[in-house]
Amino acid sequence: MRADTPDLDGGIGLAGPRELGDLRRFSHEAMNTVFEVYAANADAHYAAQAAQAAFALVDRLEGELSRFRPNSDISRINHLTPGESARVGEAALECLLIARHLYDLTDGAFDVAIGTGLPSLEIDADTFLIRATGDGVLVDLGGIGKGYAVDLMAELLEDWGLDRAFVHAGFSSALALESPADCDGWPLTLSDPAERSRVLARLSMRQTALSASGVRKGDHILDPRTGTPVRGRQAAWVALPRPGAATPAGHGLRLAPAAVADALTTAFMVLRVEESAALCARSPGLEAWLLPDGASPGTAELIHFSGPAIAPAIDARETRDSGP
Amino acid sequence: MADEDDKRKGEIPTAPGAPPKLGRRDLLMGLSTVPALGLFGYAWSRQQQYRRGRAAAAAATPAAAADLQEINVALLGAGAQGQVLMEAMLRIPGVRFRAVCDIWTEYNLRRVVNTLKRFKQEPNGYADYREMLDKEKELDAVIVATPDFWHAQHTSAALKAGKHVYCEKEMSNTLEGARSMVLAQRETGKLLQIGHQRRSNPRYLHCYHKLLGEAKLLGRIVTVNGQWNRAVAPDLGAPDRYAIPEATLKQYGFKDMHQFRNWRWYKGLGGGPIVDLGSHQIDIYNWFLGAPPSGVMASGGLLYHDPKTHEWHDTVMVVYDYDTPAGPAKAYYQTQTTNGSQGYYESFMGDQGTLIISESELNYAGQLYRDPNAPAWDDWIQKRYVSAPKEQEAKEQSESGAVADVRESVAPDQHTVPVSLRDPYHQPHLQNFFDAIRGKAALNCPAEIGYESAVSVLKVNDAIDAKCRLPFKPEDFKV
Repeated sequence: MRADTPDLDGGIGLAGPRELGDLRRFSHEAMNTVFEVYAANADAHYAAQAAQAAFALVDRLEGELSRFRPNSDISRINHLTPGESARVGEAALECLLIARHLYDLTDGAFDVAIGTGLPSLEIDADTFLIRATGDGVLVDLGGIGKGYAVDLMAELLEDWGLDRAFVHAGFSSALALESPADCDGWPLTLSDPAERSRVLARLSMRQTALSASGVRKGDHILDPRTGTPVRGRQAAWVALPRPGAATPAGHGLRLAPAAVADALTTAFMVLRVEESAALCARSPGLEAWLLPDGASPGTAELIHFSGPAIAPAIDARETRDSGP
Repeated sequence: MADEDDKRKGEIPTAPGAPPKLGRRDLLMGLSTVPALGLFGYAWSRQQQYRRGRAAAAAATPAAAADLQEINVALLGAGAQGQVLMEAMLRIPGVRFRAVCDIWTEYNLRRVVNTLKRFKQEPNGYADYREMLDKEKELDAVIVATPDFWHAQHTSAALKAGKHVYCEKEMSNTLEGARSMVLAQRETGKLLQIGHQRRSNPRYLHCYHKLLGEAKLLGRIVTVNGQWNRAVAPDLGAPDRYAIPEATLKQYGFKDMHQFRNWRWYKGLGGGPIVDLGSHQIDIYNWFLGAPPSGVMASGGLLYHDPKTHEWHDTVMVVYDYDTPAGPAKAYYQTQTTNGSQGYYESFMGDQGTLIISESELNYAGQLYRDPNAPAWDDWIQKRYVSAPKEQEAKEQSESGAVADVRESVAPDQHTVPVSLRDPYHQPHLQNFFDAIRGKAALNCPAEIGYESAVSVLKVNDAIDAKCRLPFKPEDFKV
């Protein structure tokens, strides 16, 4: 989840890809992880070109969103003096607006502004100006940027007509589009971060974002509200359906389920179990799995929450800005 | 093209005000105020919090540069590079997009117009540049980012319509084209900036003016080395559903969709990697050496890619001769597209030091090595022209008593260039163009300089064919 720690195995797995039949896989390193596109039932050359376009998009996003790029939008924000503003692009603005919403929803358990807290930034969505109200702002989109990239990659692949696809960033942020022909969904697994071979759950998903956060031995996550390391949680997963036809489009902003799921898993590592349960209980379509610390490695049992049911997403493309 | 945007803006639910800051109790009680908007609530409540915050802190912000003369621009060519320029321009205050023109109306044009609308800009979309120039009377400037073989026609037409022009490099794929652009600029008296954006990059400017000009840190530069290596990549494709009708492609000089997307590889349209990539850096050779080259020899070929879809050389190695004001120099340059080893950089080697520089903020962002026998740089370090040296392992070893190996020379001190860019790479060069329009700056890369670079670079492909050294005469660089 931290952008300076390579995270190549995020706890989500694709089960038996070889059994899925006619499947193409493309990989690309970016954002300190490996992005992959799986395209089912597609022409190999055409799918390679589409994947290349998707990876070019990820590279562009990294240039705008990474705090490790000295001339990214986020770096410019991180160098603001109190009262100063930076003009940012669409990607940075959307990520910050999503981040602020999730900050509110989680009582600050998800916070992209390390140290000072997100309220130290004023976000003007009309002018794309971000203003720092205090000193020492340090924004890190590590907990949301990969999910956001996955959302945009999925939109691009659909635009190319590659509807039967699965996209992920380091298996920590993933999005299943339509399933391969003859499958009901993409066969996905959740596995124990302490023991990857131990599969905790098997899922079948389509039109759904799935995100994972976890700690491995020696790692820790800080609670942004207290600045102290979180204890008692090994991993959290969140599944969120892509907004369906019944969801009204959002005020010029993208509805980005993988970005939201990405942020929620970070929050669910920090929130208490009952707090996570409460948030799930009022979020239609949301599913979460928590893995508490076990008495000994590899013994913890998953806790599973589901939000209220929503009408199944029939054709998500109708409401999103799927066109260019 | 408006329908997409309307759809996004449609059906805005009544936002019940900004979600108030929640206390721990609210969370445990169940976040009762938020779920009406749900997890995607940001999409509807996006401005509530900001407006409330601004109202509370009423007097705070300095007024945005209200007296800035707004410049009306059109983007001609809305593909990958046009979008890079658009992104940079969106971060520059005082730029108003009035029009966008691209023949790929269903993809590039729609995408860019939709993006601009989200930035509260209201550009008109065009497929044909003549129609755009006829109808858009308010334009001050046109940004040309079309394929190279269109640059001359597009630039000259815009200049003759009374607009200032920023035209991407390479200025043209032919010398005739490039020359006609210089002449059109002179005839109209309008500004013409060529998109060699390193000429406005603060790190390059610092190196040119302070390190080479004032401090002369490298001494006499005798050799130069540079490269842009890229890993193998598949040809660019396009979503099937947005294919451009064949008649339109033909009308604008493209055989098919593949050629439209990969024009850089085709003779008569682009110039291959030596022109796409080399042009940026060979322009810096000329600039830093203070002269255009006096001769060139080159070897190149299509060693790897499919000749059915790639006409230009995928591998090129060049040696230039220079007669610089300080004396003769030689410069090597290579570009290849089968292995990205060490990416791109330029290395200037003088008798007193070495500068390795690139546009990238990540790699080769300005390293300096002082020759052990050169005068000390202490004053320049104090003036913050260069950073303090990084301790060299070899020195530490010799100080700790290890025997120095006389067969190897002492490692020179390594310094860095303490200047970096906080903005998108093309932003300073565009800013320089807009400043020039406002009469507040001189262009950093006017037509004549772009022409010198075009002459230097286009000749490489001739030299490859000729298989021998081709001389340049001073008058080759003049129009």
